[in-house]
Amino acid sequence: MDFLTTYIVLAEIYVLLGLSTNLLVGIVGIFSVSQAAVFGVGAYLTAFLLMHTALPFPVAVLLAAAFCVGLNILVTLPSLRVSGDYFVVTSFGIQLLATAVFTNWTGGTGGANGLPGVPAPLILGHEFTEPTEFIALTTIGMALGCLCFWLMMRAPFGALLRAIREDELAVAALGKSVLGAKVSAAALAGAFAGSAGGLYATFLSFVDPSSFDLDASIFLLTMVVVGGARTLAGSVLGPFVLLALPQILALIDIPTSIAAAARQLIYGLLLIVFMLFRPQGLLGEKL
Amino acid sequence: MLWLNLLINGLVWGCALGMVAVSFSLIFATTRFFHVAHAAVYGLGGYVSWSALKHGLPEWAALLVGIVVCGLAGAAIQKLLYERLDRRGATHLVILIASLGLSAVMQNGIAAIYTSNVLQYGLPWGNRTTIIGGALLTNTQMLTVVFGILSYLGAMWFAHRTVLGKRMRAVASNPFLAEITRLQPRQVHIAVMAIGSALVCIPGVLVPLDLGLQPFGGVPILLTATIAVIAGGVGSISGAFVLALVIAVLQNLSLLVMPGEWSIGITFGIFVIFMLFRPRGLFTG
Amino acid sequence: MTAYLQVTGLNKRFGGLQALRDCSFTVGQGRITCLVGPNGAGKTTIFNAITGFLVPDTGHVEFQGRSLDGQSPQQIVHHGIARTFQNLRLFADLTARDNVLAGMQDHVGEGPLGAIFRPFHTARALAAKQDAAMAVLAHVGLQDRASALVRNLSYGEQKLLCIARILATGAELLLLDEPTSGLSGAALTEVMALLRRLQAEGKTLLVVEHNTRVVQQIADDVLFLHHGHLLAHGSPAEIIADPKLAEIYFGGTL
Repeated sequence: MDFLTTYIVLAEIYVLLGLSTNLLVGIVGIFSVSQAAVFGVGAYLTAFLLMHTALPFPVAVLLAAAFCVGLNILVTLPSLRVSGDYFVVTSFGIQLLATAVFTNWTGGTGGANGLPGVPAPLILGHEFTEPTEFIALTTIGMALGCLCFWLMMRAPFGALLRAIREDELAVAALGKSVLGAKVSAAALAGAFAGSAGGLYATFLSFVDPSSFDLDASIFLLTMVVVGGARTLAGSVLGPFVLLALPQILALIDIPTSIAAAARQLIYGLLLIVFMLFRPQGLLGEKL
Repeated sequence: MLWLNLLINGLVWGCALGMVAVSFSLIFATTRFFHVAHAAVYGLGGYVSWSALKHGLPEWAALLVGIVVCGLAGAAIQKLLYERLDRRGATHLVILIASLGLSAVMQNGIAAIYTSNVLQYGLPWGNRTTIIGGALLTNTQMLTVVFGILSYLGAMWFAHRTVLGKRMRAVASNPFLAEITRLQPRQVHIAVMAIGSALVCIPGVLVPLDLGLQPFGGVPILLTATIAVIAGGVGSISGAFVLALVIAVLQNLSLLVMPGEWSIGITFGIFVIFMLFRPRGLFTG
Repeated sequence: MTAYLQVTGLNKRFGGLQALRDCSFTVGQGRITCLVGPNGAGKTTIFNAITGFLVPDTGHVEFQGRSLDGQSPQQIVHHGIARTFQNLRLFADLTARDNVLAGMQDHVGEGPLGAIFRPFHTARALAAKQDAAMAVLAHVGLQDRASALVRNLSYGEQKLLCIARILATGAELLLLDEPTSGLSGAALTEVMALLRRLQAEGKTLLVVEHNTRVVQQIADDVLFLHHGHLLAHGSPAEIIADPKLAEIYFGGTL
C-alpha cells in the first residue's frame, strides 16, 4: 500500500515537471534539456529555506518557485537570440553547469553527499510525514498545475504560443509580442519545475545531485515524448507510465549492478522507437 | 614553471579536443543537426579498442579495429535512423530527440557490458616521458599531438582536395541545390557520418590512455568541442581546431586560479554568455 | 495636404547590392496602388522597410502624417498597417479560424495571468473573438473552412486566408505581396473581387503584382520600380503604354 502511494506521489510531482517540459519543448518548440536543472534549484532552495529559516512550507515553496521563474527566463533567453540547434548546445551547457554547481558547491548544496534531513511540510500545525498524508499535497499541486495548463491552452495565449512555434516572423507581422509570449511561457515552466522541486525535496527529505543531472533531463523528455507532446493528457500519462517501468523491470532478474544503466537504456530506446513509429506519443500530437 | 606545464597540458588536451571538434564539424556542417550520439560513438571507439587489445591484438591493430567499427556505426546511424526519419519529413526536434535516445542507448549499453567503473588500458609505454625543449611529455601526449595535427591536416585535405570533400561542402552550402544537381546528398551524408565517426575514435582511444575509460565520458568532451565548432564558425575546420586549442589552454590555465572541478562549469558559463552576445561565432560577420 | 503613406528617399544596401536607391513615392487613401517591376526590383524590400522588418540605411516613412521610422513590426501594426508575405507564412498546423484569431488586436487572454486568474472573462472574450473571426472568414468566403487545418486548404483558400488574417488586425492600409500569384480561373477572379470589395469598404491597398492583366483591372495607380528606384508612376494605361517600361519589364535589359 505504502509502495503504491509513494509511486503516485512521485508520479504526481513528475506531472508538474512534464507540464513544464511540454510547455517549452512541445508547445513553444524551445528544445530545452535543462529542465532538471531548474527542478533541482527548486528542490535545493526549498530544502535550504526550510532547514535554515523559520519560513513556513508554503512560503518556502512559493519563494523557490518564484526564483525558478526568474532562473528559467534567464536560461531560456538565449533561445530568443539563437535558433533551435544552437540553443540545444546552450541548454546542454546550462545542465552541465548546474550539475557542476550542485556537486561542487559543498557549502550550499552538501556536494555529492547532498542535503539530508529536509523537514517535512508543516501546514496549520499538521506535519505531512507519511506518503499517505503527503499525497494530499501532491494531488493538490498536480491539480493546480493541470488546471493552469488547461486554462492557458484553451485561452488565446495557447494559440499564440503555437503560432510562435510555427512562424515567429508571421506572429510579429500580426502585431504580437513574440518576446513577451516566450518569456511568459518560460516563466510558467519555471514555476512548475520549481514547485515540483519543493515537493520533491520535502517528500524525500533528502536532495542530492543525481536527481537533477542530464539523465534526469532526458528522463523528463522521455516522459513527455511517451505520454504525448503538446497535450495535457500526454503530460499526465507520461510520468505514470515511465515511473511504473522500473517496477516492472524489478520483476525481471537484472543484476543490480547494471539496473540503473538498463533503465536509462530503455528510456533511450523508447525515445528512438517513439520518434520512428509514433511521434505523437500515446496521447499527444505529432511532433 | 607550473604555468608552462599547464600550457603544454592545455595544448595536448587541445589536440584531442580538436580532433573531436573537427570530426563533429564535418558532420554538423553537412547534416545541420546536433548529432548528440557522436559522444557515444567517441565512447564506443575507446571500448572496442580496449576489447581488441585485451584479445591480444597489437596496439595499432586495436586502434584500427576501433576506427573501422566507429566508421561503420556512423554510417549505420545515418542510414538506419537519421535518413529514415528525414524521409518521413521529421523536424529537427524529432531527429534530435532520437539522437539523444540513441546516445542514451549506446552509453548505457556500454555501461551494462563493461560496468560503469573506470577501465585502464594498462600500457606502460604510454606513461614513459621524454624531455623536449625543457618540457616533460609522456608518449601518450606526444602521440596525441601527432594524431591531432595529422587529423586536422587530413580533414583539410579531405574537404578541399577530394571529390567527396567537395561534394560534402556543396551539400553543406546548399542542400536543395545539391538535391537537384545529382550530388546525391543522402550518400554524402552517410559518407561524412562514417568519416567523422571513424575520426572521433582516435581521441576516443588517446584520451582514455591517460584518464581511463568511462561510459559517459564523451558528453562533456563533445559539448566542449561543439563550443569550439560554433565559436569557430560552423563549417570552418580551422576555426574548430584553433578554438579547441584556445578553449583547452584556457581551461588548463584557469587551474592557476581555481580548482579543477569548476573548469567545465566555467567553460559552459562563458559559452552561455557568449551565445547571448555573439551567437554566430567569432569569425563570422 | 499630406499623403496617406509617404515614402521618402529610402536607401538600403546589402553587401554589394543596392536594394533600394533613393526610393520615394506616395500612396493615396482609399486607392489600390500596384507596385510593379522586374524580379529583384526591390518590391518586397519596400514592404519590409515600411512594416519595420528592415531598417533602411537612410530615408523616412510617414503614415497619416506620423513618422514610422525606427518602429518595430509590432508597433507598425498598431498604427494600422499590416502586410502579407509572398510565401504566405500561415500557421500550417492551426485551423483557419485560429490563424485569423492570431491576427486580432484585442489582447484579452493572450497573457498567462489573465488566462489563469480570469478564466470566465477570458472564455467570454474568446467566444467573442471567435465570432469576430468567423465574420472575417465569411467576409473572404472561407466560413465553411473555419475548422480545417491550413495544411488541408487549397492554395487559393490559403491565399484568401492570408488576407483574412491581416483584415483581423483591423489595419486600414493593407500591403499585399503577390496576392494573385499562382492563381487562375475562378480563384483569381475571387481574389480580384475581394480586393475591390475591400477598397469599397474604405481600405487602402498597396499590392505587389506581376500579372499586367490584373494590374489593368484593379489598380488606380501604378508604381514602377527598377533597381530599387521609382522609375515611373501613373495610371495603369499610362504605364503599360510606355514602350520603355515594357522593354525593361519584358525585355530584361537589366
